[in-house]
Amino acid sequence: MADVRDILDIERANTPEVTRESFLVQKRRNFEKAKGVSKRPEGMHREVFALLYNDNKDAPPLLPTDTALGIGAGYKQAKARLGMKKVRKWEWAPFNNPARTDGAVFHHWRRTTDDQKDYPFAKFNKQLQIPTYTMTEYNTHLRTNVQKWNKAQTDHLFDLAKRFDLRFIVMADRWDRAQHGVKSVEDLKERYYEVVGLLAKAKGQNSDKKSYAFDAEHERKRKDQLKKLFERTTQQVEEEQMLLNELKKIEARKKERERKTQDLQKLISQADQQSDVATNVQSARKYEKKLVKKKLHHQPRPSKVDSVVNAIEIGGSGIKFSDLRGSGVSLRSQKMKLPANIGQRKVKALEQAIQEFKVDPSPPPTEEICNAFNELRSDMVLLCELRTALSTCVYEMESLKHQYEAACPGKTLNIPPSLIPAEPIKEEIIEPGTSASTNA
Amino acid sequence: MSAGNMLYGGDEIGALVFDPGHHSLRVGYAQEDTPKAEIPSVVGVGPSAPDTNMDIETKTDNNITQNNADTRKYYVDTTYVNVPRTQMEIQTYMKDGMIDNWDLFEKVIDYTYAKVIQSDPEYHPVLFSEASWNVRNNREKLTELMFEKYNVPAFYLVKNAVLAAFSSGRATALVVDSGATHTSAVPVHEGYVLSQAVVKSPLGGDYLSMQCRQHLEKQGIDLSPAYKIASKDVVKERDNARFTLRKLPENLTQSWQNYMLKSLLQDFQMNILQVLENPYDERVAAQIPSVHYEFPNGYHQEFGSERFKLAESLFDHAMLGAGQLASTSVGMCDADVRLSLFGSVVVTGGNTLLQGFPERLNRDLQLRAPSNTRLKMISANGSVERRFGAWIGGSILASIGTFQQMWISSQEYEESGKGQVERKCP
Ligand SMILES: Nc1ncnc2c1ncn2[C@@H]1O[C@H](COP(=O)(O)OP(=O)(O)O)[C@@H](O)[C@H]1O
Repeated sequence: MADVRDILDIERANTPEVTRESFLVQKRRNFEKAKGVSKRPEGMHREVFALLYNDNKDAPPLLPTDTALGIGAGYKQAKARLGMKKVRKWEWAPFNNPARTDGAVFHHWRRTTDDQKDYPFAKFNKQLQIPTYTMTEYNTHLRTNVQKWNKAQTDHLFDLAKRFDLRFIVMADRWDRAQHGVKSVEDLKERYYEVVGLLAKAKGQNSDKKSYAFDAEHERKRKDQLKKLFERTTQQVEEEQMLLNELKKIEARKKERERKTQDLQKLISQADQQSDVATNVQSARKYEKKLVKKKLHHQPRPSKVDSVVNAIEIGGSGIKFSDLRGSGVSLRSQKMKLPANIGQRKVKALEQAIQEFKVDPSPPPTEEICNAFNELRSDMVLLCELRTALSTCVYEMESLKHQYEAACPGKTLNIPPSLIPAEPIKEEIIEPGTSASTNA
Repeated sequence: MSAGNMLYGGDEIGALVFDPGHHSLRVGYAQEDTPKAEIPSVVGVGPSAPDTNMDIETKTDNNITQNNADTRKYYVDTTYVNVPRTQMEIQTYMKDGMIDNWDLFEKVIDYTYAKVIQSDPEYHPVLFSEASWNVRNNREKLTELMFEKYNVPAFYLVKNAVLAAFSSGRATALVVDSGATHTSAVPVHEGYVLSQAVVKSPLGGDYLSMQCRQHLEKQGIDLSPAYKIASKDVVKERDNARFTLRKLPENLTQSWQNYMLKSLLQDFQMNILQVLENPYDERVAAQIPSVHYEFPNGYHQEFGSERFKLAESLFDHAMLGAGQLASTSVGMCDADVRLSLFGSVVVTGGNTLLQGFPERLNRDLQLRAPSNTRLKMISANGSVERRFGAWIGGSILASIGTFQQMWISSQEYEESGKGQVERKCP
């Protein structure tokens, strides 16, 4: 009365009685069905196999679906099915291991039905072919370096090679130092491969079995270097790290300097191609943005000059006046209007410059005057920026001079006159850059 | 032999695995995941004087063996050793990681077959672990003993460091084993110990016990083990203990009392001591909550920074600190294997269960390893796996199908004698 169908009073199909016949039929059917799906290697336990493969690679059902398989009463069946197969007996049976030379007999559990094959693990008994030599072979071919390797030592080497399957590191460890002196891994390898090569040559063996040439000198050198690498003290490592850092700094500074000269160059050439710039600003902007980003990555020492130069760059020197093409009828005086995207600072500087040079701030807008006035103002902005840059450079030069003099008292730094500006700069035109790095 | 076994490479042949240590002998069947028994590696030796009470016990228990020539009585395993008996001396059969007193050791083996294995030795091949610095003489003696006295069908000896590495699934590893009497660093390369680069120090669990004892005695804390106490009252923290003494047999030997005291100290050390991840610093230690411990006589108190100070002695030694030990060992190996050794450092042995031991070792080793090496510590999480690392490795090895050709069989022993153990068990 526990079933939901009982509660809802739904008639329940009779569970077919499990008879031997129905069983076998169903079992065969199940077996056939299962055949296509499962590729479980024989003997692997189901639990282990389930870790590797799902029966039908589906996601597991959310609800138990024993009955959904169409078998009927699932649990009952499963239970009954277990007993149907005949029990295969295990026995504690003796076995012979062909990998052993002594014919010793051990016991293990085995199914009585399994046939008495060879011990299955014997086939893993692989042995390396270590060449052997006779006394005469040794005397005729192998006496190459008698001071370094005598017969006894060579014998010991080949014995170890056989015992440790050419694990040279272990062989060097077990090398009988008391009797045969100290030998390194490289010594052992060198001699071994020498002997193998000589034997192969002497026996005129088929040449497809290549004997390996061992470059002992190279190996020794390599290992020496490796050892040195391992045996550095912390101080040495730190020193190296410090030197590397210094090198990086120097290189970064060098790059900075190069970049600065380039920037200056660019500014100068920009002054020449003012008109060009006006058309190219768009693309130049993009480039500058990139530049700024790059700059952020290596900034070994912020310099004011740098920031000023940069500010000029970002600002895009000069002014781009909008041409009013295509926007319908308009007054020509509109052409002289400063574009909206100019910074407040620039506008102010421009006003001051116009005052300073005593230019009419709003000349009659004839075609010619419009163009000339616009160009003039663009140049003025550039001029202001260059002035700022100059003053920053001078300031920095002064401060470096002071630093130098403070560091080496008693000396004065002579600045070549070509670097000193001819006339004092009018500071009041633009307050030196107010960008973030100014106060650094 | 079923195909299933073939898949996993296992084939169990009823072998036994013995892992003798200074603290205990671990013994059990290969292919099981823990030893059947852990028997203390000490034996109680009592006088032959006929004590009526005791005699009855003796006759019924065959773990108490009596030789005809030697009339002394031997008590093996915890339940017999821990009983206070008149004039029973406690002796260990181990010395320097190797079996030293063979008579006592035989008593323990006898007991093992009779009480633990409960089967005859001639049915079970035997795999023994040994210290990496075991000497030829000892190895041959053990081989001889097992074949001649116990008639085992086959025998094999493996270095315990190799087994510990196997139990972590490594054939190449630096095995740092901290047991009762010593801590050792042993490089294992492709299943072989690099014997020239084995380094060990006498700083182990017993050394810590000694430190604890000195410290506690200096504090004036009474270290009466539980066997002395008949009853105790509940007292406030740090108040004097109120307890009554038990009536004990006379003439308890000093060695037995020391042994019982050591058990108490080991319990203290397991529960209280902890290693800091960085070298001991009073300020850091003071911030960690203290731990409460109650002694058998009822006295109890909180332990603060001394928990760390005591444990620090395993690491702060310039030459013998565990980190230094490990890096020295690696430094003595061929340059080509150093990276792979640093790449798998297996931590095993009961003493490494000390809280924070693996973390501190990791930190100390990282400092000493070349700066860009990949250091990997492998330490089993379970206390059983850590304490029985070597035994578990032996259990795995002895039940691998391809290993079954390695045994020295009794036939081979008859033919070539004990000398072959040097060759066959490298
Ligand atoms: N949980 C634990 N915490 C701290 N130390 C422990 C713990 N369990 C065992 N020990 C210590 O480990 C030591 C025994 O380690 P073990 O590896 O069994 O030694 P051995 O190999 O020499 O027999 C003892 O000194 C014991 O105090």
